[in-house]
Amino acid sequence: MNAAAQKTDKGLMPISKKGLLRTLAGQWQLMLMSVPVLLYVLLFNYFPMRGWIAAFQDFNPRIGFSGSKFIGLKNFIDLFGFGELPPDEFLIVFRNTLAMSLINLVFGTVSSILLAILLNELRIKWFKRTVQTVTYLPHFLSMVIVVSMAQNIFSTEGAVNDFIMSLGLVKEPVFWLGEGKLFWWLVGVINVWKEVGWSAIIYISAMTSIDPCLYEAASIDGAGRFARILHVTLPGIKSTFVILLIMNIGHLLEAGFDIQYLMGNPLVRDYSRTIDIYVLNYSVGAAKQNYGLAIAAGMFKSVVAIILLFTANFIARRLNENTLV
Amino acid sequence: MKKLLCLMLMLAMVLSIAPAFAEGAEPITLTVFRGDPGDQPTEDNKIYKLIEEKFGVTFKFEFLAGDLNEKLGLMIAGEDYPDLFDGGNSADLIINAGALINLLDYINPDDTPRLWEHIEPQKARLIEKDANGNDVLYIIPNYGLADGDQIANSVGGPAFFIQKQVLAWADYPEIKTLNEYFDLLEEFILDNPTNADGTPYTGFAILCEDWRHFCLINPVQHLMGRPNDGEVYICVTEQNYEVTGNDPSEPFKTETFIDKPYAKAYYEKLNEAFHNGLISQDTFVMNYDQYIAAISSGTVLGMFDQAWDFGTATSALIDAGMDENTYVALGLVYDPEYVNGVEIEEHYLNGSVPNVRRGFGISVKSEYAERIVAMWEEMLSNEWQLIFNWGIEGEDYYVENGRLMMTAEQYANTNDANWKLANKAEGFFQSSPKKQGWIMDGEFEGNAWEPGNQPEIVLGLMNEYDQAFLSAYGYSKFADFVNPPIELAPYGEAWQIDYTPVDVDHTKFLQIQDQRLPELITCDPAEFDAKWDAFVEEIAPYATAFADYMQEAVLAEAAKVLGE
Repeated sequence: MNAAAQKTDKGLMPISKKGLLRTLAGQWQLMLMSVPVLLYVLLFNYFPMRGWIAAFQDFNPRIGFSGSKFIGLKNFIDLFGFGELPPDEFLIVFRNTLAMSLINLVFGTVSSILLAILLNELRIKWFKRTVQTVTYLPHFLSMVIVVSMAQNIFSTEGAVNDFIMSLGLVKEPVFWLGEGKLFWWLVGVINVWKEVGWSAIIYISAMTSIDPCLYEAASIDGAGRFARILHVTLPGIKSTFVILLIMNIGHLLEAGFDIQYLMGNPLVRDYSRTIDIYVLNYSVGAAKQNYGLAIAAGMFKSVVAIILLFTANFIARRLNENTLV
Repeated sequence: MKKLLCLMLMLAMVLSIAPAFAEGAEPITLTVFRGDPGDQPTEDNKIYKLIEEKFGVTFKFEFLAGDLNEKLGLMIAGEDYPDLFDGGNSADLIINAGALINLLDYINPDDTPRLWEHIEPQKARLIEKDANGNDVLYIIPNYGLADGDQIANSVGGPAFFIQKQVLAWADYPEIKTLNEYFDLLEEFILDNPTNADGTPYTGFAILCEDWRHFCLINPVQHLMGRPNDGEVYICVTEQNYEVTGNDPSEPFKTETFIDKPYAKAYYEKLNEAFHNGLISQDTFVMNYDQYIAAISSGTVLGMFDQAWDFGTATSALIDAGMDENTYVALGLVYDPEYVNGVEIEEHYLNGSVPNVRRGFGISVKSEYAERIVAMWEEMLSNEWQLIFNWGIEGEDYYVENGRLMMTAEQYANTNDANWKLANKAEGFFQSSPKKQGWIMDGEFEGNAWEPGNQPEIVLGLMNEYDQAFLSAYGYSKFADFVNPPIELAPYGEAWQIDYTPVDVDHTKFLQIQDQRLPELITCDPAEFDAKWDAFVEEIAPYATAFADYMQEAVLAEAAKVLGE
């Protein structure tokens, strides 16, 4: 199928130089319409990048970029724990970021696909709509509220402990909020609860675009419900899944900030802090403000994101899937 | 051209001679930033109206929302400064960024006699040297420049707190040591596991959130007989040297206390209390709101804290009529068994000390420095201080035989947040220079500047429960539960010292405590010793770096006053 699509593409758009110019000229209205978008990207995405210069400076906002002293790679050396900042901390926050990101990615994707499949199988319209609405509403709650609720529910006298103790699963209440090793999973659970309905929407829409004939044909061939899900629904959303996966992998160093910042406490510090919190603590949150460090961290994250994105894209192309770039 | 120049010069001279605040002076609006949360006054606030009439000045307030350091960082980045700039507890940041003007350019004995007289007695502590060795004063302290004898009706700062009902239940015992305190809590909770509604009591709460973690990390210095010096123990008295084993020939020997053997006893005690069910695990993950909610519910029997830190909870308890659930501040010290048999002298209440570098400064961006200083000068008059502190005669207070008095209702108003927004100028006055202590001259000589300190009001308006409670002890005021105010050592209070030069070490120093102390409190008692040793070893490099810096800073502060 891919090969066929490429053929038609080539037929539509010959890539010889003269032809390109002619095509552009022929589509000048379209080109004109894309100018605002181009300007937007230049202005808001590329223009601010000049601030990256501060990553190599002992940046002082009063003097600005031109006056601040260049200090080479010192900010990066500090960031990675080989300079003034305590060693090891960067490794810990890097590990936490990756771990929570991966948990979010795996749990989030699996749960939203599952929910989408379940909803897709429902035939009672009002029930399906209600469930969909109820599951995506938490997306609109502020993280502050979600975390406060979670803190109540997971406290040693909270509902979760009451429940598992009444079932006799544990004798002593579990100290969910103060146990470092549980923190990542707690973040995963809360994120899934908050986002599952929202992320499922895109899969549901992908499923609605699957040709019903395929289901009919499968039924005639004797496929049961599970077989239809396995052989029609899942292949039908594969390209959506791959595109979303590639995009999410690009965001792998964005494990979130609010939830860890709000729910973190001294007892779980070693597991709760992400790169963002680490940077906040040592840049603007510190008594001695160090903007250069924050910008160096931002640069580091962007570079890693680009590498991850292209790697994922490359792998996907090798596996002959639809790709983003 | 020359004529024009002459005219302009003359005009300038005339303008500079005229008092800057003369009635009918050009109306101005001052922008104000307060480094702590607050509420906007109402449009028709009566005190601000008076200020507008008299000085032609209106205010535009911005109160802190969110994190102070982040906010100040942003303001510094954009040099976006208000006229009146209160940097709260992080004023060091804005001073170091050069955001404030030197007030000494405007304050001197001739032009501003009241302001000068106000700061003069403490000028050794207040006036600093800048990088070029010039005398500078950036901020006139908002509190702590008091006149007359020290007033101490209640404990406003750090102490071990205990619910009044616990003391009443035990028939009003004197609780002076750590063991007595925890024994009493334990006995009470055995006898009364829940309150009347069936909610279980928490024996001892420890707030660990963010900068309020002083509840967790500060108590040891007090148990060892020192006032609040932040995170260091400074030897001043002979006994201080004796109990720490330091060499008395080193003046103001400064050390971090948390990693010393004498700190171990406190956390071991907390570990014991934890396993006796007095401390709940949840206390270590509680945020400030949850802590205040817990105290306001009346189910927390005791804690180490500073009285102002849970003031809102105290008000809530009083409003709910739960007087027996409000707290008494106790000045606990270590039992002699923990310190080689020494009976430690308690030192909780201090003589008054200027709140150095806290309050309004005038920013370098302000065009109105002269007018602001002239206004403050005028406001330090008895007339204006009375308006700010007591209000308007006949409306907010009355006078009887030369005594300033308030009816119960009038006094209740002064604790009503909504009333104050319309009838007090707190947003401005709290951070401005003010008189405290006793009125030293004029018509009302011998009255207290603050209504809450006026003896008639303290006694007359105390509720019946408190009166009966105090008389059971034979005390006249709640401050009698702790030592009478002791004059501070020359270095002042070390928590005020700027530690930004060792910020990275200090942050790490605090982080290790935040993390390890709760672990120590909750660990298996059999493992406590090993864990303590590991903690001391882990924190040692940061503690040393911080202590070394503080030692020098303390000596420098002391030298300012002792005039070396």
